[in-house]
Amino acid sequence: MNERVGDHSPVVIVVEDEKLIRRFVRTSLEEEGCRVVEAGTLAQGLLESGNQKPDLVVLDLGLPDGNGIDFIRDLRAWSDVPILVLSARSHEKDKIQALDVGADDYLTKPFGVGELRARARALLRRQSRGGEGATPIVEFGDVQVDLSRRVVTRNGEALHLTPIEYRLLCALLANTGKVMTQRHLLRDVWGPSSVESNHYLRVYVGHLRQKLEDDPTQPKYLLTETGVGYRFQP
Amino acid sequence: MWDLQKLTDRSSSSSLASWKRFSLAVLACTGTTLVATPLLAYLDLANIVMLFLLTVLLIAVSLGLAPALLSAFLSVGLFDFFFVPPRFSFEVHDGQYLVTFTVMLAVAIITGQLTAGLRRHADESDTEALRSRALYEMARDLSGALMVEQVAEITRKFLRSVLNADATILLPDSTGALHPCSGQDAARLQIEPRFAIIAFERGTSIDCVQLANSGYAALYLPLKAPMRVRGVIAVAPMDGQTDFLLSQRERLETMASLAAIAVERLHYIDVAQRTQVQVVSERLRSSILSAVSHDLRTPLTALVGLADSLTVSKPPLGAVAQETAAAIRDQSERLAGLVGNLLDMARLHAGEVTLQKEWQPIEEVIGSSIKLLGRGLVEHPVKVALAKDLPLVEFDAVLVERVFCNLLENAAKYSPPGSGIEIDAHVKGDTLEVAVSDSGPGFGPGKSPALFEMFVRGEAESATPGVGLGLAICSAIIEAHGGSIAAANRLQGGACVSFTLPLGDPPIIEEEILHPDGERQP
Repeated sequence: MNERVGDHSPVVIVVEDEKLIRRFVRTSLEEEGCRVVEAGTLAQGLLESGNQKPDLVVLDLGLPDGNGIDFIRDLRAWSDVPILVLSARSHEKDKIQALDVGADDYLTKPFGVGELRARARALLRRQSRGGEGATPIVEFGDVQVDLSRRVVTRNGEALHLTPIEYRLLCALLANTGKVMTQRHLLRDVWGPSSVESNHYLRVYVGHLRQKLEDDPTQPKYLLTETGVGYRFQP
Repeated sequence: MWDLQKLTDRSSSSSLASWKRFSLAVLACTGTTLVATPLLAYLDLANIVMLFLLTVLLIAVSLGLAPALLSAFLSVGLFDFFFVPPRFSFEVHDGQYLVTFTVMLAVAIITGQLTAGLRRHADESDTEALRSRALYEMARDLSGALMVEQVAEITRKFLRSVLNADATILLPDSTGALHPCSGQDAARLQIEPRFAIIAFERGTSIDCVQLANSGYAALYLPLKAPMRVRGVIAVAPMDGQTDFLLSQRERLETMASLAAIAVERLHYIDVAQRTQVQVVSERLRSSILSAVSHDLRTPLTALVGLADSLTVSKPPLGAVAQETAAAIRDQSERLAGLVGNLLDMARLHAGEVTLQKEWQPIEEVIGSSIKLLGRGLVEHPVKVALAKDLPLVEFDAVLVERVFCNLLENAAKYSPPGSGIEIDAHVKGDTLEVAVSDSGPGFGPGKSPALFEMFVRGEAESATPGVGLGLAICSAIIEAHGGSIAAANRLQGGACVSFTLPLGDPPIIEEEILHPDGERQP
């Protein structure tokens, strides 16, 4: 089942109390070539995380034996393994909290296998890429961003971005595929004193979409995670 | 309860038995004469005078000023008649006795007045002490009162027995109008509502002496508590005499503030209890909702995921099994959507939802809801037509996203495959108006308002699935935002649901300061 023979196959820990959900998460991740370790409780999950040195943790926030937020905090104390959170819709606060304490992405229940695999793949890719050969050029759609020269072009033509727009774009590009909470982006782009000015963020994301997206009302790359934040998806 | 019967007795004793006191004075003088007559042989007239003076003094001390005066004149008369020669006549031969009479009279009057004054003071301070004690006891009783009615009753009892007055406590209702505190037979006392309102609103006491005789309350004292004025107490003298009541103003105000503190204490007890009940019931409600939603979502998540993993399993299933797996997945996704709608509705109805309103452009939620529906919209291209320079609007993005999802889902469901859906937004008056329209058959005639009720569907028995919750949720969400929602058919055919959101006063976005020689611009 492990197709990446030779190379060590990535280890994923699935912390979820519902057996059937664990089962399909397991099969779909194994098809991605992962070795999956299941944990039915947070305590077991924490234990396995210590033993197995995972490359990804899939965590259900609503576990009966404790608070998933605390789990993320504990784990973050000694590991920066990517964490993918599973949570119900209408629990935006939980998601934001999870992301703010260090989770990398979330999936809203119910979710399809395709979605799960795509998210897991993105997180594993980011994990394995690490510092190695990061290229200063990011391309999406007909836009090319040269981070070393601070140049943005669209169809080969230079685009003018204001300093804030550029910083915002960089903050999103630096965390490709990852959900950035509004608070996080505001702190990165405007500074720690502006974490309450959400409307600025929204207006500037709108500016970026006007300049970079084909149809700003139906963006393909600069995606809104309603109630939570934004995500750059190439 | 209070020892006030004594007080009343005492004050009436000096007026009620006045004829008795005068007869006593007369008797005492006569007695002195009778005692002195046989002593005339042994005593000087000067000493006889002393006996009379003593009598006057004793009368003054024990019976008060008026009997003392009477006895002074009487003594002079008796002394003159029975003892001064010539005896048994009022004639006086020796002019010296005129001096004796004058002195005797003067001494009698002065001592009478002095002792009567002393007595009055002693009486008054006794009364004062009793009234203060009554006030103290009222304060004690008020601190034990558990209901406003008790406060009113205790206050009235105090006023009735100590100040001989009747009273009604007026308390404000939620609109600020004053009503007599229920549970007392207060109807007797007429209230002049304007005075009560003035006393309540200004916090000063109002008195109107003229009203006292017509059965109206003459004094309106605000119940000033530490936090605010809690009500008004209207006081009327029982006998129509306001002078005494006005002289007791300080005591009345003390009483009013005691009552006010009691009323305020009861108010806060009430507030605390209500808050506690509310907290408990809200906690219960939200824990039931989250338990139900967890219990429903968990199997649905497993169902969707397991069915979906079948469709992509390796080796691939046969065509029929593949189709079945996909159908199971689609149906369970729809079921999950319905359960989500039901839970949303329950939450909205339970008042569980607090709006997380933020200022934002409407286009953002339009984009995210189109993205969210994804596969559901493949057969229906969405055209978004937004007016230029739409202002920011304050709304809860997650909930308004639900509105768009429900409207888009409906539009896709009720219009033929391949037909487009249009979203259009523009400013209309002081609202932002958003319309979602399709090219389907439109709504049936005469159904518009009912569409937004729960479990009502456009077509009674249609093959199109759904339970008719979508529009009801949209309407609940939009109403919570202070907007309105309406359904209509377009002239060119197709259904159109439009809703408004109030515009308000969006925050100002400061323009970026761009330094011409600043950062190298991309």
